[in-house]
Amino acid sequence: MSVRVNIHPILAHSTNDQTVVEVKGNTIGQCLDELVKQFPRLKPELFDKDGSLLNYVDVYLNQESAYPDELAKPVKDGDELNIALIIAGG
Amino acid sequence: MLTKDERERYDRQIMIRGVGEEGQEKLKQARVFIAGAGGLGSVTTTYLAAAGIGVIRVVDHDKVELNNLNRQVLHWDEDIGRKKVDSAQQKLERLNPRVKIEAIGERLTEANISKLVAGFDLIVDAMDNIPTRYLLNKVVVEKNIPFFHGAVYGFEGRAMTVIPGKSACLKCVYRGAIPEEKFPVIGVTPAVIGCIQATEVIKYIVGIGQLLTNRLLVYDGLNMKFTEFKLKRDPNCEHCGQSARGKK
Repeated sequence: MSVRVNIHPILAHSTNDQTVVEVKGNTIGQCLDELVKQFPRLKPELFDKDGSLLNYVDVYLNQESAYPDELAKPVKDGDELNIALIIAGG
Repeated sequence: MLTKDERERYDRQIMIRGVGEEGQEKLKQARVFIAGAGGLGSVTTTYLAAAGIGVIRVVDHDKVELNNLNRQVLHWDEDIGRKKVDSAQQKLERLNPRVKIEAIGERLTEANISKLVAGFDLIVDAMDNIPTRYLLNKVVVEKNIPFFHGAVYGFEGRAMTVIPGKSACLKCVYRGAIPEEKFPVIGVTPAVIGCIQATEVIKYIVGIGQLLTNRLLVYDGLNMKFTEFKLKRDPNCEHCGQSARGKK
């Protein structure tokens, strides 16, 4: 399954300034694994040591919150993922 | 009852279908609590004062610094060193003397928040850190007060509206916390997001339009794009979920 991943601009320093990446996978977890293979510096910015998503990383599948159990959610060809971080400035 | 002067002052918004004198009267009777007198607070207070909100309470413990002035447009060079709430009160009272501005120069804490928000109809989140945003979210859920969230970073901003018990709260959407740090921002971003928050407040009070509930609106100023993410209430939410409700 080919999935388009929109990466939050705060993370773009780990993706050579790419904010849109195409990946393949059957679940969100597989898609993010492939993303991390392409951009290894992303790994500590998305996952903790146990491989769980960090609690300030939000994932949206086709503009809908994928929480909870984000990594297990299935994806299909043409789906769109958004990886967002909490922002707090005022 | 609107005065002749108020009818003239607010004439253009009274003309809006769905607002009318009745809506203007609702705005006049409203009491709005604004947490933060920084970038977002400057904009939300300005437009809510201009719109004729009856009472605006603005709370912020900070003083004005030179590096605030690129975005916190209620504060000017001459205000450096003053309490932000005093600077804000002075400008807002000059903008619209008919609006009562209450300036509270305190830090919001678990100990004082309930007392400070008591008697207010709705709360605007114009803070600059996650812990205080969560504190506000907890109190609005407990007290069933509508909550208008906004946040900015660089050219990006986000907004959502929380109607406790009916729509996703901030803790349904965000669970973690990022370290408190100096964040990049340009003034136009809080201007856009603050105006969206103020728009939501006005719509809620007047009772018109569709609120930004169960939706997170993300503004990307660099690509000039708005994206809407669908949200849903989290049944296990620490603040508004079943177990949290059971603790009350």
